[in-house]
Amino acid sequence: MIPRGVRYALSGISWPLYALLYTPLALVAYYSFAPAPNEAGHSLHAYNLLLHDGDVFSALRRSLILAIGSAITSTALGTLLGYGLCRFRTPNAKGVLAHIPSLIIYTPIIMPSLVFGISELIFFNLVHNATGMLGAGLETMIIAHITFQVPYVALTVYARLAGLDRYLFDAANDLYANGLKSFLYLIIPLVQPAIIGGFMLGITLSIDDFTISFFTSGPGSVTLPIYIYGAIARKGISPEINAIGTLMIGTIILLALIHFFITRHRDRAGQFAARGSIS
Amino acid sequence: MKFLSYIAAGAIALGLAAPAAHAGQPTLNLFIWSDYIDPGLIKSFEAQCNCKVVETDYESNAELEAKLRAGGDSQYDVVVPSSYYVPELQDEGLIQTLDHSKLPNFTNLATKFQNPDYDQNDAYSIPYQWGTTGIVYDPAKIKDPGTGWGLLFDPKMNPNYPFVIPKGEGRDQIGAACAYLGYGFNCSEKSQWIAAAKLIEQTKKRSNFAGFVDETPARDQMKSGLIAAAMAYNGDIGQCYGDGSCKSLKFFLPKEGAEIWVDTMAIPTHAPHPELALQFINFILDANNGATLSNFNQYASPNAASQKQLSGILASKLLNPSPEEMQRLVFLAPLRGAQYKLFNQIWTSVLQ
Amino acid sequence: MSGALKTEQEIEAGRQRLRLWVTSGPGLVWIMLFLLIPSAVLLGIAFFSSDDYGAPVLPLSVQPFQQVAGYSLLGWDPGNITIFLRSLGQAGTATLVSAALSYPLVFFILSQREDLRPLLLLFIVLPSWTNQVVRTYAWLELLGPNAPVSWAAHLLHAVPPDLGLAPGSFAVTTGLAYNYLPYMIVPLYASAEKLDWTLVEAGRDLYASGLRLFWHAVFPQTLPGLLSGVIFVAIPAFGDYVVPQLLGGDKALMIGSLIANQFTETPDWPYGAALTIIMLVFTGMGLVGFRILTRKLGGAEEVTI
Repeated sequence: MIPRGVRYALSGISWPLYALLYTPLALVAYYSFAPAPNEAGHSLHAYNLLLHDGDVFSALRRSLILAIGSAITSTALGTLLGYGLCRFRTPNAKGVLAHIPSLIIYTPIIMPSLVFGISELIFFNLVHNATGMLGAGLETMIIAHITFQVPYVALTVYARLAGLDRYLFDAANDLYANGLKSFLYLIIPLVQPAIIGGFMLGITLSIDDFTISFFTSGPGSVTLPIYIYGAIARKGISPEINAIGTLMIGTIILLALIHFFITRHRDRAGQFAARGSIS
Repeated sequence: MKFLSYIAAGAIALGLAAPAAHAGQPTLNLFIWSDYIDPGLIKSFEAQCNCKVVETDYESNAELEAKLRAGGDSQYDVVVPSSYYVPELQDEGLIQTLDHSKLPNFTNLATKFQNPDYDQNDAYSIPYQWGTTGIVYDPAKIKDPGTGWGLLFDPKMNPNYPFVIPKGEGRDQIGAACAYLGYGFNCSEKSQWIAAAKLIEQTKKRSNFAGFVDETPARDQMKSGLIAAAMAYNGDIGQCYGDGSCKSLKFFLPKEGAEIWVDTMAIPTHAPHPELALQFINFILDANNGATLSNFNQYASPNAASQKQLSGILASKLLNPSPEEMQRLVFLAPLRGAQYKLFNQIWTSVLQ
Repeated sequence: MSGALKTEQEIEAGRQRLRLWVTSGPGLVWIMLFLLIPSAVLLGIAFFSSDDYGAPVLPLSVQPFQQVAGYSLLGWDPGNITIFLRSLGQAGTATLVSAALSYPLVFFILSQREDLRPLLLLFIVLPSWTNQVVRTYAWLELLGPNAPVSWAAHLLHAVPPDLGLAPGSFAVTTGLAYNYLPYMIVPLYASAEKLDWTLVEAGRDLYASGLRLFWHAVFPQTLPGLLSGVIFVAIPAFGDYVVPQLLGGDKALMIGSLIANQFTETPDWPYGAALTIIMLVFTGMGLVGFRILTRKLGGAEEVTI
């Protein structure tokens, strides 16, 4: 398809580009091994500092609570939302009303995160002044993170359901008289990969976010990204910050690769089993 | 699914392993300039009050004001605005009056710091530290710094080396530009402000202008050699002289006039723990604690009872302006109402 | 109509509606409560006057919008227009750069063995799974003062001594392109994967030069993917906050920082809200424009709810 000469040219351009994509990240890792003051060479000095830094561990704990807590809730809300819209919406409905759910779902995706964050800041502030609830903190951050994850989970689940045979649902209705049972015993197992995918996406989005967290956080809810941002804005980059960055980058890359190879292995095993059963 | 539960289990284990906040203990939320309090002092207050202190930092009065406005007035217990900002925060209803019966150590303050012009009868604020704002430069790069604000505003004095100007609320910057233009540091005419703003806009366009960076981060950039000149607080420089991290840098108060200020402790209107906040203020007013504070951050103390325990560089000329310098140091006048709005619009247009 | 019995169909339709609300209600209400209402409040603030301290007060006023247009107590100032144009320029350049890098990368991946492709794609997407702050500040290591690239730039007399390429406009463009590159690659890859190679083969007989072949036979087929990519990159890049904050250094403000300043530095909420409206209008126009263009060109496949 692609002529050989063009292939060589593509390789010649692409490998350096791949290298460039990882150069900044590699430099973060390289500088994280800077020696302690008045020493030469490389050392684990920065990592040693990290181990004894209570603030960093608290920030890590909050980041994990934020990511996992918001992803669990948004997976539940998003799965129900995707399922409901796929199954119970009148097909081919016309009129403005029929489009409202779609509009609502796409808003968090399209909304620039800065606008998202500032809106939440002002809203939580109003609610807090009026009722005393929802003071800025981990709680408001979790609410905001759920809000931007729900549509992605819903879309993932919806796409999976839309790809399934509609007769399955009719069969489910015949099998289980009650809608809840059919949802629990048939639908959930069927869309399980999408639910897991949605959950993982939720975690990834939560870890990636800074802007929305920044505007919804309170005095006691510094998460890792906010900690890093604050430290860089005040002191510039330090080996300790680079060490945190390195650990974050390393963890993500490792988890992604493990996940990639496990799912691929499972796919192959699945294909093999399928082939075996046919023959 | 298995993989997922491994991640979840691992993450939760990690989360639990990290030290959890002490449940049940009251928390004092302190909102303060960065590098402005001794962590040891916080520890000893925590021990004394059986509470936890959460410190959050800011770099300018503008940042403090914005945070208080956006819900901070019901999140923070103690804030540290500069003297001229106290009437402004008071006008906005962001800080509350103080119950002096809970502040027995108030008498430790030197009388000249009591009942100041910016806050009659110390109703809203208690002095924390005081100092001056001048210029810091790197003599290895800038051989002829002159004696005035020209080091920042005159392209001929420093055509090459990177320098910064603080972002903040703009009072020091406009004041410095006014002083350089001959209007005096405390200029208050609209036309003078605009002329000063134009000068800063010109300065911003110079190729060696490295950005708007507030004083304390700028000092840190000076230490690592990224920039060669900036505006700075005297105590910030005293602090890095003290720990030896900036021995080669030089600080001066420009001849055209510069700011002298008092930073104060205040309690936001809807502070969650006002009692604890008063305890904290009283704690800082204690003679020993006041001395520990100044010995740590190398700012002069308004606390008369602390003076004999002050050590080292605190006795130096850097922190104790000479009578001749005192002549050209000015307290910034608070801006109120329409004047405040006008000034902010001018400063906003400089920044953008 | 009292006493009329509902038909079975009507009852069933009612049940269906109930099920719809029970399942999708919580999610929809959540988004309405925690995003639609808050953003309506923010946008509403733009129509209030701002008091001496920048808080929204009655009466309603168009003054915040006059401020956006550049009118203030000081007379007219082109500052805001410059910032808007600069943001458009930065976002546009970043989009162009990421599109230019995406084509060779996408066809490189397609030229590899089929089982290697997902892995190669994964390695492009991976950096975007780390936190935005981390992958953005990482560029300071490369472009900051005294960093290798800045040093080289200084030798070429591109920057004054001691001043790096970051903070500055170059660093912002680079950071934006880096952050949003995967959003260009993924849709482009999706449409390039379905490329009809028989058309290319046919074209090969007609056109002599490789570039013309690309332009006439390959490019039109990838256009839907490219257009989705442009939307995915240009819109978030235009309103980005982290990249200009970390790599821009306030020297060349972008719209995101300008808006944020009205809430994080000396506050002026109505002005900030009015700026937000203008930003959303630009974003919306871009979105609608590109959607119309995409439809006209045959449309990209997408999952729509």
